[in-house]
Amino acid sequence: MYELFEHTADLGLRATAPNIDALFAEMAACLCAAILEDPTSVRPTIAESIEIAGTDREFLLFDWLKELLYRFDAEHQVFSRFEVSVRQDGLTATAWGEPLDPERHLLNHEVKAITYHELSVVPTDGGWRAEVIVDI
Amino acid sequence: MKAAFAGPLERVDSCCYRIPKSYRADMRVDGLIFANDALIESVKKDQAPDQVANVATLPGIQGASLAMPDIHWGYGFCIGGVCATDPAEGGVISPGGVGYDINCGVRLVKTNLFWDDVKHHVRSLVKGLFHTIPAGAGRGGRYKFDAVETRRLMAQGPRFVIDRDLGVPRDLTHTEADGLIPDGDPDQVSDHAVKRGAEQCGTLGSGNHFLEVQVVDSVFDADVAKAFGLELNQVCVMIHSGSRGLGYQVCDDALAAFRNCPAKYGITLPDRQLACAPAESPEGKKYIAAMRAAANYGFTNRQLLMQQAREVFAAEFGRKWEDLGMELLYDVAHNIAKLEEHVVDGKRKRVWVHRKGATRAFPAGHPELPDVYRAVGQPVIIPGDMGRASWVLVGAAGSMERTFGSTCHGAGRAMSRTAAKLQAAGRRIDKELESKGVIAMASSRMGLAEEQPAAYKNVDHVVDVVHEANLSRKVARMRPVGVIKG
Repeated sequence: MYELFEHTADLGLRATAPNIDALFAEMAACLCAAILEDPTSVRPTIAESIEIAGTDREFLLFDWLKELLYRFDAEHQVFSRFEVSVRQDGLTATAWGEPLDPERHLLNHEVKAITYHELSVVPTDGGWRAEVIVDI
Repeated sequence: MKAAFAGPLERVDSCCYRIPKSYRADMRVDGLIFANDALIESVKKDQAPDQVANVATLPGIQGASLAMPDIHWGYGFCIGGVCATDPAEGGVISPGGVGYDINCGVRLVKTNLFWDDVKHHVRSLVKGLFHTIPAGAGRGGRYKFDAVETRRLMAQGPRFVIDRDLGVPRDLTHTEADGLIPDGDPDQVSDHAVKRGAEQCGTLGSGNHFLEVQVVDSVFDADVAKAFGLELNQVCVMIHSGSRGLGYQVCDDALAAFRNCPAKYGITLPDRQLACAPAESPEGKKYIAAMRAAANYGFTNRQLLMQQAREVFAAEFGRKWEDLGMELLYDVAHNIAKLEEHVVDGKRKRVWVHRKGATRAFPAGHPELPDVYRAVGQPVIIPGDMGRASWVLVGAAGSMERTFGSTCHGAGRAMSRTAAKLQAAGRRIDKELESKGVIAMASSRMGLAEEQPAAYKNVDHVVDVVHEANLSRKVARMRPVGVIKG
């Protein structure tokens, strides 16, 4: 489950999930909801494998979202479905999506960057919760 | 968002407040916020003053941690923040003190047209500009550069495109640093950044970036206005944009590379977003070289935006842009760090001046100014909001004494994007602007709602403070008549 929330001039992404793998997938979906008006417009036709190294859980989330943003901005790919496996030393993920089609994919915000501000990945009673602010 | 600032704010004079060093044990210098009694209440509403105090903890900081009257909350440094560090005293360089959009800035293009010549063309001009100039998220430009060309562009700045007839050499002398920050090294810019920038040079982007047709509606200093070539009712074009995805990625890359620097160099940071490294360290030097290269990309982006605007005007009026007098008044960066010479405590020093949402404002006589402006001072271009006004100021002597040669950069946000959207629900901002005489076109209606005039502080109030503080003086005020936005 994810939501976008207000933050001064920018935008916050927040998600909760029963386990950390699902949390990282939800945060990715949340980023796509910030970028696209309707994330369900993205057809999962191409599967991309992504691997990221890192031991700090918060930096790992940061780098995961940063990679997806890069693929949108530089490679014009949009995604709608994610499977993530978070390990002690990094993560392995598959992201399903398609090339950006401006006719079908209406853009919401231009996300300039993922930021460290109030970046958090924390355990909760029923699972995990994450927050990150993006610069728009 | 956390609570309002609860710390001390001592009134220094009618346009300056101090957060004393005694506020926190980790502050190395005072914080100084330029604001008058009317503005200071809004300054206290968010955590921006805490960010001024945070910056005061950086190693090697000189004088004071400064904030301009358009101060508002940013990442690490506040927007409107200025700080100088001395590399000889372990002074740091901080990407958070430059911002994600390296060399975001503004340029003003003059014309020899007056309001009477243009008033029946505004709608057509705005349409032409909107269809010609790519704006908004996800739109690539008409200029495509491969990786080799993009790196060459960063090494040469606007000269790279002027050599391809996209502008004229005199555009360079009317750009800060002659359009080329020296010692930028494109090889220190990552492939990721180059790829993000390859298709985006000559595009406006979104958020608060815009291109506006404006009319000079007041002249405050006739002599300086004359030296700048500005007069009442004259039509100008103002362009506000930066280094697009390339700059954001350079900042991102540096923040990642600086992750281990606090431990490595024994720096304690009150906020992770203040990531920094000694300017003379390998990490610091690498960021500086990449940041300078990205800054050159930013100047080039605005050069290409200007050139497209010139073409649209030429098509509309059926005359060459040169015949329409579309000369660049000046281009200034407002997100940058530069090594400059300043007098600190009576000693001349070379310091890293970080300006994040602040404009260089060198006074008359400064050796870095182009010949054409040396006798009057540097033009300072201050975008306001799309419903009220923007300004041209001139650098004044007080900036060298008080703010490391800096002044404000704009109006500053007064309302969050979400609040602005809520307030715009059910309204047509474009129609409201039109009723006030401003034709606006935007790639998204939401963008227009987020950027509505009420979302910003009144730029006139901000300008009043820097004028009174003698950081820069009023020259002319421009009202918008046409605007395109992302």
